[in-house]
Amino acid sequence: MGPVLGVTLKGIEAIPIDVEVEITGGLFVIAVVGLPDAAVKEARERVRAALRVNGIHLRGRIALNLAPADLPKVGSLLDLPMAVGLAMETGAVRLAEPALFLGELAMDGRLRATKGAVPAALLARKMGVPLYLPPENAREVSLVRGVKAFAAPDLGALLGHLAGECSLPPVLDSSLDPDDPPADPDLCDIKGQAAAKRALEIAAAGHHNLLLVGSPGSGKTMLARALRGILPPLTDEERLETLLVRSTLGLRTRPDRTRPYRIVHHTASTIALCGGGSALKPGEISLAHRGVLFLDEFAEFHRDLLEALRQPLEDGTITVSRASGSVTYPARVLLVCACNPCPCGYWGDPVETCRCPAHVLEKYRNRLSGPILDRIDLHVSVPRLTPEELVCLEGQHGPSSEEIRRKVSVAREIQQERWKKEGFHSNAEIPEKLVRTGIKLSREVRPFMVQAARGMRLSGRGISRVLKVARTVADLRGSPEVGVEDVCEALAYRKGGVTGDSA
Amino acid sequence: MDHLETGRLGESLAERYFRGKGWTILGRNVRVKFGELDLVALDEGELVIVEVRTRSIGQVLPAEESVGPRKLKVLVRSGRIYVEKCRWTGPWRIDLLGINLDPGGSPELVHLPDITAGRIDA
Repeated sequence: MGPVLGVTLKGIEAIPIDVEVEITGGLFVIAVVGLPDAAVKEARERVRAALRVNGIHLRGRIALNLAPADLPKVGSLLDLPMAVGLAMETGAVRLAEPALFLGELAMDGRLRATKGAVPAALLARKMGVPLYLPPENAREVSLVRGVKAFAAPDLGALLGHLAGECSLPPVLDSSLDPDDPPADPDLCDIKGQAAAKRALEIAAAGHHNLLLVGSPGSGKTMLARALRGILPPLTDEERLETLLVRSTLGLRTRPDRTRPYRIVHHTASTIALCGGGSALKPGEISLAHRGVLFLDEFAEFHRDLLEALRQPLEDGTITVSRASGSVTYPARVLLVCACNPCPCGYWGDPVETCRCPAHVLEKYRNRLSGPILDRIDLHVSVPRLTPEELVCLEGQHGPSSEEIRRKVSVAREIQQERWKKEGFHSNAEIPEKLVRTGIKLSREVRPFMVQAARGMRLSGRGISRVLKVARTVADLRGSPEVGVEDVCEALAYRKGGVTGDSA
Repeated sequence: MDHLETGRLGESLAERYFRGKGWTILGRNVRVKFGELDLVALDEGELVIVEVRTRSIGQVLPAEESVGPRKLKVLVRSGRIYVEKCRWTGPWRIDLLGINLDPGGSPELVHLPDITAGRIDA
């Protein structure tokens, strides 16, 4: 291991890169070897200019090797280690111990923010070396505990620090802002829809996927947006996971515990949603990790896009494989889908009449009743409100988002405590085996489930989904045991009730 | 004054200028295969090949702008041959000194160090 280390990203993982420099006689030229991409190759101009500003004039034939040589290096985050390596070789500074450097250089020597600061911080912590980074990346790195990091405003200050002439301020651990989630719209402002609100509460508490079906204007989208205000706060561990994904894309993150909430339009491509491209970037499903992925107008999405969601919904991770390699991103999302019950939108509506021909209706149902619906635990109908309900202007409509959020947070804490040993965070994540052994049922539930399974023709997966939802309902009441009434409520959210098919 | 005289005057001015900067002058008008090096000097351990361009005032381009890509290529090639011939193993570079002569006043000197930096790919 050489003393000057940089990083390159592979998925959400930072790989250490040794920067080796050789200067020999000859006409001035910088050659970069070790599979650099265009941005890394162009770094030599930025590095040369930035070093010149700091009084280091490069001369002779310079070869820069980025090891391991067979790993492709991507992006501008290697500028700084290359500059430090060159400064060392010319004798301007000495480095006593190995250190990680990260940053893009401006021509005048300033350091610009880069992506990948959080993965680099985790790597620095693992290797036990100090990390030098641009000041704009300091905030996100300050959220990672136990990293010895320094923020350098420019190359001159960094070289001064390494030479022992001045010292850079260390990046101190900072805590998250007290969270203040945007409850917009607040649940108590939404009229009626008590059943849907209850389903939102269960979804938020147990991280269960949710489907909202209703005619146009019934408030599906508004309800889905209201979910944002009742999600439980992220734990420290979850917080780090979401930070990691955003950092690999170079996105800014608000330093609080708000869960991600991503709305995807139905024109989105599979790569935008699942990740990919030549750089193997994470997609929306990974950005929504530990939070909500909202697909509005669910029935309009391309079939292959929805099929692509099946595996990540089951596993909580997505592996993006291309010719250039394969990486795994986290993808544990709460999927919220909203759609109309039929193409015209009024099937089952109390007032308007549905005008869809039978074959159109069947085609639409076929599109909806794919295997993806089987992975959605809560199916909820959002009926149109009566004129009396709509005109009612005064007062609150049920508990506020803040109250529900408190209830949901308590339920989530119970789950985290229960599944801590197995490493799960919520009821929706637990595998089949744990459903059988880890969920405590009351005495009457077993015969009741047998009856229900017979009557409703439940499959093995169906039964375990019902039990998971029932577990969350029981957690919301604070009961250690799942009772018959919990199972009853869970059965009410079964598939088929809202889209009309009997599967 | 014809152009050859102008050139010689320029080279003398250049030699004086670089001596004043503390450089060691190694040679003037060094002939190598494919060309001639106007001035060869040593600047703090770095060998410098100087192309001197002299212009009397009134011409369209200033002197330092008159080196194009073709001339640059010739300079690099003859530089390499020279460095090889005298077995120099240290770093070297190519500088350009533009001299704009003014019949009335003092000549204007423009020194551009390392004109190939960033222009030659490895």
